[in-house]
Amino acid sequence: MAEIATICPFCGCGCGIYLHVSDGRVAGVSPSRVHPVSQGRLCLKGWHAHELVDNPARLTRPLVRRGDELQEATWAEALAKAAEGLSKVRSSAGPPAIGVLGSARCTNEDNYVLARFARTTLGTPSLDCSQRIQCFPELPRPDDGIGLGVSTGQIADLDDCDLILMMGADPTEENPAVAARIYRARQRGTRLVAASTRSHQLARLADVHLPVRPGAEMSLIGSLLHVLLIERRLAGKEGGEVPALRASVADLKPENTAAETGVSAEAVRQAAELYEGARRVVVVVSTGLSLAPQASEALQALSNLAALSRQSAGPQVAMLSLVGRNNLQGCRDMGVVPHYLPGYGELTDDAVVQRFEHAWRAPLTREVGLSAWQMLGEVKALYVVGDDLLRSLPDPRATREALAGLEFLVAQDIFLSPTAAMADVVLPAASFAERNGTWTNLERRVQRIHKAMEPPGEAREDWRIIADLSAAMDGALPYRSSEEIFEEITSLVPVYAGVFYPPLAVNGGIRWPTEAAREKAEAPFSREDLGIDDRPVQALKLACKTAQTSEQYPLLLGADPTLATWDGEVTICATLTVGVEFTVSAKDYPDGMLCLNPADAQRYRVRNGRSARVTSPRGETRMQVRVSDEVPEGVALAPYYHGARSGLMEIAEAEGTGRPVLAPTAISVGPES
Amino acid sequence: MTARLLPHDRVAEFTERLLREAEVIAPRRLETGDVFYGPIAAAEEVAWDYGTAVEPLKRFLLPQRERILRFSDDGELRVEAEYDERERIFLGVRGCDVAGVAVLDEMFGGDIPDPYYLGRRARATFIALSCQQPDPHCFCVCGDAGPFLKRGYDQQWTKLPDGMLVEIGSEKGEALAAAHDDLMQPAELEHIAARHRLAKEAEKLFGDYHSYAAAAMRKLTTNEVAPEVWEQASDYCEECGGCTFLCPTCSCFTVTDRREGTGGVRERHWDACLYSCYAREASGHNPRAERADRLRARFFHKLSYQWAQRNGRHACVGCGRCVVGCMAWAHMAAMSDAMRRGVMP
Repeated sequence: MAEIATICPFCGCGCGIYLHVSDGRVAGVSPSRVHPVSQGRLCLKGWHAHELVDNPARLTRPLVRRGDELQEATWAEALAKAAEGLSKVRSSAGPPAIGVLGSARCTNEDNYVLARFARTTLGTPSLDCSQRIQCFPELPRPDDGIGLGVSTGQIADLDDCDLILMMGADPTEENPAVAARIYRARQRGTRLVAASTRSHQLARLADVHLPVRPGAEMSLIGSLLHVLLIERRLAGKEGGEVPALRASVADLKPENTAAETGVSAEAVRQAAELYEGARRVVVVVSTGLSLAPQASEALQALSNLAALSRQSAGPQVAMLSLVGRNNLQGCRDMGVVPHYLPGYGELTDDAVVQRFEHAWRAPLTREVGLSAWQMLGEVKALYVVGDDLLRSLPDPRATREALAGLEFLVAQDIFLSPTAAMADVVLPAASFAERNGTWTNLERRVQRIHKAMEPPGEAREDWRIIADLSAAMDGALPYRSSEEIFEEITSLVPVYAGVFYPPLAVNGGIRWPTEAAREKAEAPFSREDLGIDDRPVQALKLACKTAQTSEQYPLLLGADPTLATWDGEVTICATLTVGVEFTVSAKDYPDGMLCLNPADAQRYRVRNGRSARVTSPRGETRMQVRVSDEVPEGVALAPYYHGARSGLMEIAEAEGTGRPVLAPTAISVGPES
Repeated sequence: MTARLLPHDRVAEFTERLLREAEVIAPRRLETGDVFYGPIAAAEEVAWDYGTAVEPLKRFLLPQRERILRFSDDGELRVEAEYDERERIFLGVRGCDVAGVAVLDEMFGGDIPDPYYLGRRARATFIALSCQQPDPHCFCVCGDAGPFLKRGYDQQWTKLPDGMLVEIGSEKGEALAAAHDDLMQPAELEHIAARHRLAKEAEKLFGDYHSYAAAAMRKLTTNEVAPEVWEQASDYCEECGGCTFLCPTCSCFTVTDRREGTGGVRERHWDACLYSCYAREASGHNPRAERADRLRARFFHKLSYQWAQRNGRHACVGCGRCVVGCMAWAHMAAMSDAMRRGVMP
């Protein structure tokens, strides 16, 4: 029996695990105690990571659609059919008619090769990773508002700080290993402030909970800035944008915003006092904030806070963004997004484009492509790698329609996800235990995964499938190993400079950027990208748009992206033992889960576990009620994707990021008949 | 059943001889630095200097995933059980881990004998290594499981300057020692005295995590733990299952069947009573729907006298792994303190 050191494949923490392998089969999982993230702990998902591997539902052979059915085929057949289908769309409708979706579950090497395949062999600029919508808070970058999304801090900062500010985050749900550190910090006396609609367990244990109403996040942070800047005069220096910033929050006195935010002035001032009294603050940010309306303003406001504190010798602030999937950070680093080349190279930067055109020996379009969300209904073909769009895109009804309307759909995965079940060609991939490669966690830690066994049947590594598909379309991508791909990455992606396989074998990998990368740093990398928080203060453009409740629609419905974040996710649902924990909500809440405060449930005569009629100005639907005292009175919460599919909420694209935001909406709730 | 002394320069040869008789499971330091119990191929692989291994012995008696039977139906229905028949010698394992086996013995050897566990158990020999260097999270003194065991081992070794003192705790242990008497010397009185002195010194080395087990046991057993404790505790638990999987005495499992060709396999997997769907029934009814109820059930099972009476000992050996492995703050040390004081920390 051998213990193979590798990394947990679920969330963005990147915990160190060992797979117990004997006779070519994996019999169990153990946590690594020496690993800097896991420290001897694993969450419910991690303890069952081995069940993904030796699993009867694994795809083992390529599948090709004949008539209504998907049938087994050889690799040659399947690749030929996929190449033919994609080529046909490319020649009849042009390269941009093909969309390519990469995966947080795939390695950096897989995603890099996919980016190259998309931009060169296919020639399409429409390349994205849909998992970033629900699982990745994008922190603002100065000037362009698009968001580079890098944490400036690291998990270990939680061990040595006096205040943790959780903004739109539920670490116990999204990144349990981060939550474990927060619990331990609390035991040592670190103070906690949580700003989230839901009073989840860490919020209940916090020194101050700010139960912000959906949509009012901007107002809440603005009020906090008001107290700090105007009442407590946090900003020492007056230069630059500080006066404009101060002016923009002048009206946001906590008493003025309390009705809208649902947070008492007293609580806001308590939070401000804790902030001012701290020496070292870690701000934990997540999608509860970044999927709120005006997210970029809210995030900019937080960024301002950090910048002001630095300028005024206030607390040192580290930002830690929670990332819900194992290699979402890496997927973005590798340029599987429509607006960057690998390494956040701007498409408008000639030097960067030429560097890649030279390395990839092909011309590149400088057009910004469609985001995952924008692709629906626009592209005619999709190549989906390691993703279930019916879960990761917000509106499953619209997604299903769009997928059905495609001329050609190729899916590549380890299980037959609901998306793959609709495909014309399905390509079986190797799981994390069956191949080598690297993943990058939420603190920019690049780590090696190690092959523990052979893939089942004819499943292959993702990058190899992509390269074979490219070859079938006359675009040779002559890579021979993961390591070779990674070496190319380190030469072309500036922030990965100095990261090579041998040093990565050390427990805990290497966080980028390395010293070598910092030395090589050139525009457009700001010091922020290099983990040095140097963001300038920017004035805020405030235009509060919370939905108003009325007598007809007395409750405010918010879609909570930190609630039930793994329910329905194909990988965890496929596990043999705990899969039930993540599928049971579909049984108990078949039309969607609506969480209500007990007083409201009683007021509107609906019962726990029973169906209710839910109406918004956009329409009416049925959902099942979950009575929970985690929800404030006057507010209703649904998991993000339940809210999306209800049809009750407007889905609008956030400026600049192409990400769909569900606008909080006023609703009424009543018994079904 | 007299104690012997195995000189240090004979330990490797003794180990090599064991390797010829059986699979030898010993603590090994992996390249990463973590120490795990596992099969060794050579004597030098044994890590004699370690605090606690990351995991207890449980995996070797009750694997995380084991095939228990195979059925085939190609005209004729056949069902074949799969047993693990390997002889195993556990060498240099900690007292807390050996003590935990006694609780598993009661679970699987009681009313419903479990042939899979009992088969492995019957073929297991335990050579414990007494502990002179507790890890910061250890509290075996509260678990009557160390640092030096009083009972429950086949042999217990103590590292002395002259060699390993070999205490005999069972007939199996005596037979094993006798078979290799040519390597051993009789133990002198001074060796026994040194062993007792080392035990006393080790007991003084324990750190912060006293589990106040006695007080917690009393309150649990007499129903004096304030109900609010469990309500509060549910905010301190993330249901990761770590405490369950790392615990030497936890044994919850679930069973799955799956098809393979015209037949299939039945497997047993570790499960955790803290998981929300653990006790959920097919109807959808869940007798322990609230996390508070699941936490109370877990600690009741660990510490209440009703269970201790059945098992012969309470179910916490104080290995401290739940303290390390807890994703939040609901481990044994935190909870027994909370039970005693009536409030979570």
